[in-house]
Amino acid sequence: MTQAFLIVLRLMALALLGYFGYRLWMGTRSWSTRAVAFVFTGALAWQFIAGTW
Amino acid sequence: MRGFATLLWLEYRRSRVWAAALLGSLAFWLWGLNQVTVSDFGERAGIRVAILGVAAAVGLVVLCFMIGRIRGETRRGQYQILLLTPPSGYLHILARAIFALGVGIVYYVILGGLLWWVAGRAGITPGTGSVLQLLFAGPFYGIGAILVPFLSWTLLLMVFLSAFRLSGPSWIPGIVMVAGTPFLFRWISEGIFKLSYSLPAWSMFGGFTRLIEEAEIETEIMITTQGALVPQEPLWIMLALSVVMLVIAGRIWQEVEG
Repeated sequence: MTQAFLIVLRLMALALLGYFGYRLWMGTRSWSTRAVAFVFTGALAWQFIAGTW
Repeated sequence: MRGFATLLWLEYRRSRVWAAALLGSLAFWLWGLNQVTVSDFGERAGIRVAILGVAAAVGLVVLCFMIGRIRGETRRGQYQILLLTPPSGYLHILARAIFALGVGIVYYVILGGLLWWVAGRAGITPGTGSVLQLLFAGPFYGIGAILVPFLSWTLLLMVFLSAFRLSGPSWIPGIVMVAGTPFLFRWISEGIFKLSYSLPAWSMFGGFTRLIEEAEIETEIMITTQGALVPQEPLWIMLALSVVMLVIAGRIWQEVEG
């Protein structure tokens, strides 16, 4: 039960992060800004997928 | 070069109240140090050192606020005027970083001087080498390993946020960068721990710690006659990261505003 709840929580967090990533990617035309956004979004995504809390 | 000097002058004009308040706060810390009247010799020195630690942390926060006021300047229209100036984004970023760094150096060297004063009040009379380490080596190590990365990160954060000011709310990039940083920092710090002491360590405060031993001050810190062995890798790694962050911030400024 707890495991399933955590999986759902992670999926929801990933979905929110995906939305943030989309907004960040489309919100600028600067590739440096996109790269910075990608690094920090990627760090969060990696933490949601494989990170230990 | 003339443009850079003008930018530094602009930084002075915009941040002089912050800088004066920060440097003026040193009088407050000196007053605070004088208020410690605990009778125990070692405890008194320990409390004073702790007060100086708080002063160092407060200075870090104030300097980060001072350097990261781009959003407030955007609302007041100062930022728009700056964007129309001919110097490149790299020079703008560099001027901000150097001005804040200069203020930070003065602040932390004086804090080192206050530490020397605390030592003197504790009956310790360090030699010239130890005094120079208190005034310069210690503060400069802390500035390079902690203050410069914090300032660079704040600048990058502010430039990153301002890159989205036309397209929507800046809370999304703000949340992503602020929330992502601790995880990135954890990975970086793990790498630093692995690499530490690969290069020869620096022996700092050797004579000073010997004097503490001779003065028989009770302390929980392990003191050896060689002093504290400080690894040099964290300093170089954090300085390199800071340069990368500053270059990226300058590049974003160029791409977004250029």
